[in-house]
Amino acid sequence: MFDQILTFLQALLDQTGAVNLSFGNLIMIIIGIIMIYLAIAKHYEPLLLIGIGFSCIVANVPGPPDVPGGPAISALLYTVKEGGLFHYAYMGVEKLIIPPLIFLGVGAMTDFGPMIANPRLVILGAGAHLGIFVALILAKVLGFTLSEAGAIGLIGGADGPMAIFVAVKLAPHLLGPISVAAYSYMALMPMIQPPVMHMLTTKAERDISMSDVRKVTKLEKIAFPLVIAIIVNLFFPPVAPLITMLMLGNLLKEVGVTDRLSKTAAGGLMNIIIIILTVAIGSTMSADKFLTVQTLEIVGLGLLAFLFGTGSGVVTAKIMNLFLKVKINPLIGSAGIASVPIAARVSHLVAFRANPKNLLIYHAMGPNLAGVFGTAISGGILLALLGVN
Amino acid sequence: MTAIVPDTLQGALIVSVIDFFLSFLIISGIGVVLSFFPLLNRVANFINAPKPVAAVKSKAAPVAHKPAEAGTSDDIAAIAAAVFVAMDGAPHRIINIEPSRSRSAWVVGGRIAQHSSHIPSR
Repeated sequence: MFDQILTFLQALLDQTGAVNLSFGNLIMIIIGIIMIYLAIAKHYEPLLLIGIGFSCIVANVPGPPDVPGGPAISALLYTVKEGGLFHYAYMGVEKLIIPPLIFLGVGAMTDFGPMIANPRLVILGAGAHLGIFVALILAKVLGFTLSEAGAIGLIGGADGPMAIFVAVKLAPHLLGPISVAAYSYMALMPMIQPPVMHMLTTKAERDISMSDVRKVTKLEKIAFPLVIAIIVNLFFPPVAPLITMLMLGNLLKEVGVTDRLSKTAAGGLMNIIIIILTVAIGSTMSADKFLTVQTLEIVGLGLLAFLFGTGSGVVTAKIMNLFLKVKINPLIGSAGIASVPIAARVSHLVAFRANPKNLLIYHAMGPNLAGVFGTAISGGILLALLGVN
Repeated sequence: MTAIVPDTLQGALIVSVIDFFLSFLIISGIGVVLSFFPLLNRVANFINAPKPVAAVKSKAAPVAHKPAEAGTSDDIAAIAAAVFVAMDGAPHRIINIEPSRSRSAWVVGGRIAQHSSHIPSR
């Protein structure tokens, strides 16, 4: 009878995931907990990190094998596999439905006034993208194909939807690690960028205050999305879907007669997409998929891309200062890496800590918004050169 | 479409150099386009500029004449009215200012109720 009880208990234990918990799962669970900690305690992009971190934890809690003797399947992965709730969510990412909708929401939330008011600073939107090409070349050195290297490099654009868009076109099999790296580093920018910014600037440079910029009229703000949509569709058809939706969202916001639509795009719709996207990304972070040499290489290259992008933005601003009569604070250069508005906030905070009277947020938003276009342009050229429509 | 660039390290370098410099060039172009945006305001101002019209002869509104009591509030009211007339371009002019007579019992009662409701000792 005692043997029977033991057999039943063993059968019960086999139905749980405890016996299948691996060391890799534990590492990934710790990573998920760190993400949630950073979101709650440090306020590092909680909208992204809470969903990704939670899904990462649950994706690494194994359940019983799907088939007798087969690999352990996490309960979350049941929702991701075919027919599951988040399977269709992930299809939205794979089929490039979600990235344009994210851009629609971002456009409806964004005031492009700082970029229109100070056109000189848009150059920083290109200057802060050196990281893309450093990562691209290093990826090629590590043995990735040129298409894979291009997709990995775009992580350095610090633009999640654009990284997903280009990855799907160039290397769909790398979509999981690329999206994880892009969104995780975007959320962790308050940790990644400041050391580089400090290293490349002096105290006197960080203290430079910038004067107010001119007021942008409603007419200019309405003309902006129309002009940019025409330029992008004309010259960059490969990335036109994203920028067109960005501009549509912005037009809905600026015209002032479609408040219902812009509020929906920037509010409810955007929130739903964030939940779907973060769970879809986090659910790809199971240890067996994530803790591979290839994924770790991609994550490492992504980090390098962010570091070099931040540095090149600051250096570009310093080079501009050589030619400008009224100097700009070089800290706003790092905001050119895109990732609206995270990078602009980091520029502002680093300057604010150096001098509490220095309020750079509005000035940093100009290059930050230009960075979105810089990433789109880089991605568009990359797709064209690599022969992708 | 086929890839223009060979799948080699040299290809990666070529792609990077072309992409980086073209990005600079194109984004600078966008900057140039944006620098012309203030012209839109000038065009709009030109289109919306008020056309010269014949001066309208102002007509005084019939009001009772009573000497105004001097006071700061009266001065502010007079200045505000004058600014409004000047900004609006309306064919009116200020003739007389006098204190309000509407000291109804319900107004006084309301004020007492409001002020007394915030006495800290209660």
